[in-house]
Amino acid sequence: MTLTQSPSLLVAGIGEMVMSSSPDAHLVAYGLGSCIALAVWDPRAMVGGLAHFMLPSGPANNCSPVKFIDTGLDTFLTAMEAKGAVLSRSLLKAAGAAAMLTIGGGLAIGKRNAESMQSALADRGLSLAACALGGNAGRTVQLDVATGRLLIKSLSSVSEL
Amino acid sequence: MALTLSEAGQNIVAGTFGRAMKRAGEALGAMSGQVIEVQAPLLRRCTAADVLTMAGGPESIVLAVYVGITGSLQGHALLLFSPADAHRLAQILLTGLLGPGELPMDKTADILAYDELELSALQEAGNVTISAFLNELGMHLHEPVQPTPPQVIVEMAGAVLDAVLLDLVSDADQVLAAKTTFSEGGRAIECTMFVLPRDDSLRVLLDALGAIGI
Repeated sequence: MTLTQSPSLLVAGIGEMVMSSSPDAHLVAYGLGSCIALAVWDPRAMVGGLAHFMLPSGPANNCSPVKFIDTGLDTFLTAMEAKGAVLSRSLLKAAGAAAMLTIGGGLAIGKRNAESMQSALADRGLSLAACALGGNAGRTVQLDVATGRLLIKSLSSVSEL
Repeated sequence: MALTLSEAGQNIVAGTFGRAMKRAGEALGAMSGQVIEVQAPLLRRCTAADVLTMAGGPESIVLAVYVGITGSLQGHALLLFSPADAHRLAQILLTGLLGPGELPMDKTADILAYDELELSALQEAGNVTISAFLNELGMHLHEPVQPTPPQVIVEMAGAVLDAVLLDLVSDADQVLAAKTTFSEGGRAIECTMFVLPRDDSLRVLLDALGAIGI
């Protein structure tokens, strides 16, 4: 099980989202620490999306569409619907939200990100089908649009959701 | 309000950070007993994504020594080594401290594994280097700038840096990133140092340096 290096690799950088309905596409977010990546995949419409959130909340008028969960989640979900996804039948998976360093007396941003994501999804009647959240290891995640598989690579292992 | 500096202001900041980086390199050199060359620092106002690019990309594996900056200047400082160079520096430091006969045996071929002595030596190298940098800035601020205890982590650069960047970008879309590379003997040890001040205390520093309004 390895991460794909294909020409149809779309990268979600920090505060960015990527979407595709191409079965060849792989959507990737590299080096997640405290950040959290949300993958949405509709198996009927064969549409996948990946968003790379940084923080639970913040001002709406920022340069990155999905920097904050409170303002960016709707942006991402609306964009997925515009792409043809039906959220009620889509599979949602999340990874990241680790505690990498003790900063500022342990702000535990990763934990807050995980809680905010789950709470924000619940508010919209949605829930995660699978997740790999917390811990203290960095992760790279890759969504295969053809199958909905979410590969998760850390320094010591590769797993799949 | 976005921070903007005139060319003269930018030169003042670059000069101060350059001197501070040089002191940091000298401190690392004194600790390792080597002559450390210090590149002119790259100083950029940039996005979080740009910082990751400056670190070699989010997936590059690094040994990072993290030190928080507190006191009159607040922010974060990081020393990033490739895994191989971190081992090399640790061996140089331990040879100086313990003598070659006392070095721990190399028990594993895993380049990502470090024993306690190596981690301790690298932690101290980060502490000494970053403290030297902060002392130079503290002289301009006329108030102490204090480092937090160093933390060492072996991880993907993106995962290390995002913890730091999250703390900086909640209010600002851009950060001031100062980066330099230290090297010894042309290549034996290469290390990248990042200094990322918080936006609010950056203004205090720029004011103290006389870099604003000129």
